[in-house]
Amino acid sequence: MVLYDSGRLAGSCSGSGSSSSSSSKPPPPSLQKQQDIDGLLAGAGYKVRSSELRKVAQRLERLETAMVNSPADFSQLASDTIHYNPSDLASWVDSLLSEFAQPPTCPSEFIMDPVTNQTVVNDAWTTTNSNMPQVHQNICYEQQSLNNQLTVVTAMEEDSGIRLVHMLLTCAECVQRGDISLATSFLEDMQGLLTRVNTVCGIGKVAGHFIDALSRRIFQGIGGGSISGGSAYENEILYHHFYEACPYLKFAHFTANQAILEAFDGHDCVHVVDFNLMHGLQWPALIQALALRPGGPPLLRLTGIGPPSPDGRDSLREIGLRLAELARSVNVRFAFRGVAASRLEDVKPWMLQVNPKESVAVNSIMQLHRLLGSDSNLNSPIETVLSWIRSLNPKIMTVVEQEANHNQPGFLDRFTEALHYYSTMFDSLEACTVQPDKALAEIHIQREITNVVSCEGSARVERHQPLAKWRTRLSGAGFRPLHLGSNAYKQASMLLTLFSAEGYVVEENDGCLTLGWHSRPLIAASAWQAVSDAPAEFPAPDTHRPG
Amino acid sequence: MVVPLNTWVLISNFKLAYNLLRRPDGTFNRHLAEFLDRKVPANAIPVDGVFSFDVLIDRGTSLLSRIYRPATAEEPLPNVAELEKPVTDEVVPVVIFFHGGSFAHSSANSAIYDTLCRRLVGLCKAVVVSVNYRRAPENRYPCAYDDGWTALKWVNSRPWLQSKKDSKVHIYLAGDSSGGNIVHHVALRAMESGIDVLGNILLNPMFGGQERTESEERLDGKYFVTLRDRDWYWRAYLPEGENRDHHACNPFGPNGRSLEGIRFPKSLVVVAGLDLIQDWQLAYVEGLKKAGQEVKLLYMEQATIGFYLLPNNNHFHTIMDEISKFVASDC
Repeated sequence: MVLYDSGRLAGSCSGSGSSSSSSSKPPPPSLQKQQDIDGLLAGAGYKVRSSELRKVAQRLERLETAMVNSPADFSQLASDTIHYNPSDLASWVDSLLSEFAQPPTCPSEFIMDPVTNQTVVNDAWTTTNSNMPQVHQNICYEQQSLNNQLTVVTAMEEDSGIRLVHMLLTCAECVQRGDISLATSFLEDMQGLLTRVNTVCGIGKVAGHFIDALSRRIFQGIGGGSISGGSAYENEILYHHFYEACPYLKFAHFTANQAILEAFDGHDCVHVVDFNLMHGLQWPALIQALALRPGGPPLLRLTGIGPPSPDGRDSLREIGLRLAELARSVNVRFAFRGVAASRLEDVKPWMLQVNPKESVAVNSIMQLHRLLGSDSNLNSPIETVLSWIRSLNPKIMTVVEQEANHNQPGFLDRFTEALHYYSTMFDSLEACTVQPDKALAEIHIQREITNVVSCEGSARVERHQPLAKWRTRLSGAGFRPLHLGSNAYKQASMLLTLFSAEGYVVEENDGCLTLGWHSRPLIAASAWQAVSDAPAEFPAPDTHRPG
Repeated sequence: MVVPLNTWVLISNFKLAYNLLRRPDGTFNRHLAEFLDRKVPANAIPVDGVFSFDVLIDRGTSLLSRIYRPATAEEPLPNVAELEKPVTDEVVPVVIFFHGGSFAHSSANSAIYDTLCRRLVGLCKAVVVSVNYRRAPENRYPCAYDDGWTALKWVNSRPWLQSKKDSKVHIYLAGDSSGGNIVHHVALRAMESGIDVLGNILLNPMFGGQERTESEERLDGKYFVTLRDRDWYWRAYLPEGENRDHHACNPFGPNGRSLEGIRFPKSLVVVAGLDLIQDWQLAYVEGLKKAGQEVKLLYMEQATIGFYLLPNNNHFHTIMDEISKFVASDC
């Protein structure tokens, strides 16, 4: 048995937090008000309160004893358990303990000293050995401003590629300063350089789009936002090809569906509200999964929100009919309703006709960020929408967003982040060889780039924010996280292996899942539930169990 | 004998998790391993004077490496286009780091290793290149060594890593556990191929052999590590059918080769007194000495495995000082 010294933790927290020297993610907002997180473990990716360390240690010991005593049970545990949120070490250990038959004995008073082989009193619990300086191990999680982060994955080599990036950033800096004539001359230089750069992958590939976007900003002004519109029909086509060419949307749908399925377990009347129906690509899989669930399918209502169709077609209804056909073929009682709205903030909850008896799932795939632009109104749209979502008391709200910081106020910062985000995304697309999926997918992405770079105000709708910011906002709006577990992770990883090229990586991040290219997460999926009372200070212990 | 509580919790947590991942039939629960591993992204914005970015060195094998550089005083915020800006000092050590994990666990972007590499930057005033080598059991010997070799060649051929003094890249190899083992084998290949490695740093390097040594028997199961799990990892890494006297595992054993008369880097070998494989590590040191190679042994009597992961013990500080001196001695 290894003895540990439990007495050497300073109680009070220091403000410096200098021990956490890594680029670790900021803590979830729920921990903001708590203090006394062990700084060294935080640097290792684990959030444990210093005051709980001893308890966690005891439970680890108990688990170990149990493991030694019944190894067969332990391998059962290993293969069957679903794990959640490993960063919350205390909860993870507790959940393992509760799954495992606990041994009747308590930690022994006497233990064997491994060196002398003599029995000694187990005084590890009370030792206050202080021959080690214990400097600033604990850190305070006050309202820290979110760490500035810029994640770059590069394979870029050529000098001309590097020069192009340099010029792009310098040009963007000129734009930020308002030096239009200098910016314009850079644009000309860059057009020239572009002809000599390898445009097959990485920065070279995406540079052309950024040069275009900068041109638009300079020459057409920042209100020229109609580019991001296109027609709804066009957007749907591009979206569909983006769906086919790379796994980001499939991952989003798949992960959300899995969470929704679990949330609906045991409920017979369920209602899914989709914030952006598109071609309804997400729903056949859910309908089929519900059809197959033990105990039989529920009555499923789907409300799909989408832009109004011009020329008299009711495209929402057409999609609804197709889905209804599918549902009928697998014996799932199904009802569809389309809600046509140009903007999500124009939707009012009464339009959704939620029945108090049904269990509601709200599904938002890349939509919430569009609500972050505020005009001069008092309430920004995001607050209004989150508020009425909450009033629906959904069983689950699934949120998928681009994992990027594209809503920074400073133009250069935003530009820099976008340059790296989209060059990584383009790099990941390289593996796709299917046309026209790939070409159209690239246009889809290009439209996002153009919106991020060349638009402002209400025209700029692509206001992506990283997961950490969404956590803060959603927690503050009265939602608590429902953690996505190792089962969801495994299935997502396996799907990727089956359908996509190597290089795509799923990661677990404080109860959420991200999909990225190598070490750069690009899309983040999370699940939430409305807190019924006032927002809690921190997640209730059993947050991973939906329903 | 007593370890700080937070270290105990950290290492015990790893031990528990690793037990869940190793299957008796020799397979590995990779999905759960990746789910549980705490990772951090690279950050081109300096934190505590160090910034990092990832480079895809080899697309074919998806070989990624994380580069850590010091932020210079004049340019506290590096222009992102200048991540690969040439190093400016007369002599800049480049430390190629191989993370541990017994060949099966962890990654270059694991939080514990990201933290360690960031420390090494300041300590050695170096650029650190952390190699995300392929792991067992999916990728057995010699994949890890091949990836190390690929990374070494890549580092050696970067103009921006050349020290001004002689327009050469000043390369050191460092690693813990399996990473230490990789250091030895990559160094060997480097020197044989004419690429100079200036020094090897091995932290609790993973070596073994067929026979059971005294330390293995005495310390089996006492300090987080068991013989059984050591055996499992060797079976997962070594070619099927090979035993632990394979030269990868036992470089100075019956199937090893003599390094006598061969140019080999000076070595700094750190051995933890409570590590059950210390007899093999000490034998490695002896093997180097017998072959006339320069080696310094740091035997930390009261240290357990992983003591260098958290800066909360004297051993940690001792080691870091020695590493700093070891690298600085060429500047």
